Amino acid sequence: MTRPAIEQQSIGLYVHIPFCETKCPYCDFNTYSGIERLIPVYVDALCEELRRWAELFPSHASRTVFLGGGTPSYLPPGDLKRVMSALTGGFPLVADAEVTLEANPGDVTQERASGWLDAGFNRVSMGVQSFDDELLTLLGRRHTAAQAIDAFEVLRRAGFTNRSLDLIFGLPQQTLQQWIDSLERTLELSPNHVSLYGLQIETGTPLEAFVRSGKVPQPDDDLAADMYLAAREKLAEAGYRHYEISNWALPGMESQHNLIYWRNEPYLGVGPGAHSSMLKHRFANMKSPRWYVRSLGFEVPADGILSLAGSQPRRPDLPKSTPGQIRAMVAGGPVNFVEQTTPSLELAETMMMGMRLDTGVREADFRARFGKSLRDVFSREIDQMLAAGLIEEDADGIRLSFDGKLLGNEVFGVFVAAAESMLLAE
Amino acid sequence: MDQSRIRNFCIIAHIDHGKSTLADRLIQETGAVSTRDMTAQHLDTMPLERERGITIKAQAIRLTYKYDDDKSYQLNLIDTPGHVDFAYEVSRSLAACEGALLLVDATQGIQAQTMANIYLALEHDLEIIPVINKIDMPAAEPERVAAELKQAFGFKDAEILFASGKTGAGVHELLETIVHLIPPPKGDPGAPLQAMIFDSKYDQFKGVVAYIRVMNGSLRTDDRVRLMQTKVEPDVLEAGYFSPVMVKSDSLGVGEVGYVATGLKNVRDCRVGDTLTMASNPATKALPGYASQMPMVFTGIYPSEGDEYPALREALSKLQLNDASLVFEPESSAALGFGFRCGFLGLLHMDVIQERLEREYDLELIATAPSVSFDVELTDGTRIHVDNPSKLPEPQRIKTIFEPWVNITILTPSRYIGGIMEMVTLRRGEYVKMEYLQPAQSDNAANASQDARVMLEYNIPLSEILVDFHDTLKSVTSGYASLDYRLIDARASDMVKLDVLVNHEAVDALSLIIHRSYAESQGRQLAAKLKELIPRQMFQVPIQAAIGGKIVARENISAMRKNVLAKCYGGDVSRKRKLLEKQAEGKKRRAKMIGAIEVPQEAFMAVLTLERQQVSRH
Ligand SMILES: Nc1nc2c(ncn2[C@@H]2O[C@H](COP(=O)(O)OP(=O)(O)O)[C@@H](O)[C@H]2O)c(=O)[nH]1
Ligand code: SF4
Repeated sequence: MTRPAIEQQSIGLYVHIPFCETKCPYCDFNTYSGIERLIPVYVDALCEELRRWAELFPSHASRTVFLGGGTPSYLPPGDLKRVMSALTGGFPLVADAEVTLEANPGDVTQERASGWLDAGFNRVSMGVQSFDDELLTLLGRRHTAAQAIDAFEVLRRAGFTNRSLDLIFGLPQQTLQQWIDSLERTLELSPNHVSLYGLQIETGTPLEAFVRSGKVPQPDDDLAADMYLAAREKLAEAGYRHYEISNWALPGMESQHNLIYWRNEPYLGVGPGAHSSMLKHRFANMKSPRWYVRSLGFEVPADGILSLAGSQPRRPDLPKSTPGQIRAMVAGGPVNFVEQTTPSLELAETMMMGMRLDTGVREADFRARFGKSLRDVFSREIDQMLAAGLIEEDADGIRLSFDGKLLGNEVFGVFVAAAESMLLAE
Repeated sequence: MDQSRIRNFCIIAHIDHGKSTLADRLIQETGAVSTRDMTAQHLDTMPLERERGITIKAQAIRLTYKYDDDKSYQLNLIDTPGHVDFAYEVSRSLAACEGALLLVDATQGIQAQTMANIYLALEHDLEIIPVINKIDMPAAEPERVAAELKQAFGFKDAEILFASGKTGAGVHELLETIVHLIPPPKGDPGAPLQAMIFDSKYDQFKGVVAYIRVMNGSLRTDDRVRLMQTKVEPDVLEAGYFSPVMVKSDSLGVGEVGYVATGLKNVRDCRVGDTLTMASNPATKALPGYASQMPMVFTGIYPSEGDEYPALREALSKLQLNDASLVFEPESSAALGFGFRCGFLGLLHMDVIQERLEREYDLELIATAPSVSFDVELTDGTRIHVDNPSKLPEPQRIKTIFEPWVNITILTPSRYIGGIMEMVTLRRGEYVKMEYLQPAQSDNAANASQDARVMLEYNIPLSEILVDFHDTLKSVTSGYASLDYRLIDARASDMVKLDVLVNHEAVDALSLIIHRSYAESQGRQLAAKLKELIPRQMFQVPIQAAIGGKIVARENISAMRKNVLAKCYGGDVSRKRKLLEKQAEGKKRRAKMIGAIEVPQEAFMAVLTLERQQVSRH
């Protein structure tokens, strides 16, 4: 069901699926294993949340849809279909909308893949993480390299022409050669899109504890930098565009959904812990799937494990500026974080997200948004970072330099600090 | 009170041997406070002291004891600071007493502080009652400790008491013995007033409160008194004693111990050791023994954030109101900005003050490595004191550097002698003597506590025990040894200044004055440590150590290669933005800028963890 986008605001839609078969030791996402009994009522709650938002934002359409998690492919295709019809019922898809499903290799079968196409998905992003079985074990992944390769092929045969895959580099014990091998196998599969993430050891994860206790060696940052450089070279040779710090795509195959984030455009997230950016506010839902389900008026199955353990999420302090639509979902829904995007925050976030792109922050976009030129606002910072060789500048705008991509935080930090110290009229 | 019914005494004990517990028990036994009102350990009032188990400020408590003959006695228990840093205060407290309980833990035996304090007590001619404490403990070995007391000090079996502050065993007998053995105070009630100040503290409402022992004469509320050293003449706003709460009494008579509220604003006007006399009818002579105390250990104290400088000054001034031995003066460092050079009586005093600044005044501080005060003779014949390494003149202007030496006493089970000798020798210590306090209990003891107990004495430069000596001693002896020290003299030493350069800039706050024999090895270690502690920058940063301008060590901090958030999507924006803010903020707050380099606070502490390496002496 596609409608034209005229006179409608089109936004990105994110749907969070907080279930995983097992929890990977490096993962700090809002996702859980062992609460599968919650799935049916959870799907009901998602549909209800979508319905309520659609009422509050009547004339909005979906430019992109992204089901992420967790493991969306872990849900039965029928449930995914229910979610998709609730979504498109409330936020109709614009023509050529990108509709992505995140999938784990182990979940991919011919039959399921057809079900996903049928539910309306036209892009699959597969979490492969590595093509080395030993490293996959270290990462606590449930699949093997061979399985991943098969799964990717199954997707193609089922009719998914737009396929992406994710890898992680800079793993403890990983050698540069292992990484180059993984890259080569990736290219053999000719995905149209590749995400390569440098491993970040997140606080509170089992991996962090292993590293701290010395069970797993501390990954080597310099080696990770070499891996990044190797990837950049290989993918460029193969014709991929390095369009964001961790993302590469064949021309025209960039992730439209993620571009919304990096261009600081509006999106709505549903599901526990999902974040949104609408009406000059950022807001987010409570993280607990159980309390989430309950906040939308559903009963959580009474069962030892599923009881409402933990305390009820607290009501957030609302900024005065909070629009009525958001207030409604705080009062009778799952929203429990609201932050006003003041002009200086908008500036900070536009810079910090935009500088991640190969196109950087474009002069024309900046001027259209803030009514000033980049140099009007950030002359000193731009000069400082040009001198450090971290960025480049031309008539089109500013962007990270070749070397600056590995030191992005130094650049983002400078812009964020500068933007937030500015007093801008609302 | 009739002079013959007064007994003034103190308790000499090593830390943790049960002084406070026994004091509580005495208070309880004599009914000074109801059991219900008693908070544990009355004599220690500052929370910090309680935590560290030391007593910084002496106090006195009056107990009323009904002896068997049904007469009442006034017992004044004067609390003495337990630590050598406060040796002068200890000596003044002892001068206020006629007797002392020598308290020794039945599981531990004599320790270094016990030795030091008992010699002090003997110098003051006190009647000493040896008490073996904690006899209720399963590990107690009262006979063994008694043997040690007999051997070390020549006590006789009949003189030694056994008690438990915890259960109260032996406490009654102890009180009787105090009345029996400790002589009543001498002194002439008709003579002009002479009262010795053995402690003073500042009180917000009453001004400086002096703790006094009346030696001759008497005083009353409203008398105008004179401090014979400082010549100040305050009025007695209030007089009284502690029981253990403050109790007013109109007068304090000869032999009595109590307090006088003076209304003075600063303890410097009312120093420990000074004599209080009557302004209208002054004594001709002050009491003997007054000495002003010199700081021995110095360190630069800086606020982590420059704008806390006024708060730091204020906090130091407040602490000084109550602590006449704390000295400070403003100084500035190119690396650390504005701060203060502070002088302390000793290491513990320094620790306590730093901790109080941080805890009670909520300041975040950077302290430079502690230094002693060097006496420097210049080529032009003048002599200067240098307590800040960055102030040491150029080598060509220096003729001789003299550094303070101390005499240390270590008590240890015999098995650790070798380890101790080694650590002391590494630190330029000189052997003085070794004595066996007690033979081994068995030739092949499994447990160090059954070893022979040995007293080792060395002379050693004070600078060598400033930093890690105590901790090293503890680890070398598994915590069995105890240590005490006293200043002896200053000796000519071959000292040099070690400078550290970060990115070719000398960092004044990292300079050290150090003995030539291991300056180079420490320079190398320091450079290597700093390499670990200073975060990578966007360019390579050299770290060098130099002695007299000659580079002796170099390390490079290689340029940072990777610092980027790999993932940043819709759910991350607020959080990641805050992370970046924090990073930018953190850089400002917790680090000091040396040129363009952020040097974290820990780097300034790196000097504290350098190890001495064996060096060949040419
Ligand atoms: N068993 C036992 N423990 C005691 C006795 N006296 C003190 N202690 C314990 O020994 C420790 C040190 O006592 P404290 O009075 O604080 O020692 P101080 O440092 O000399 O004042 C505390 O844990 C006390 O509870 C005693 O007579 N018997
Ligand atoms: S599958 Fe993905 S979301 Fe689930 S635990 Fe593993 S890394 Fe996290």
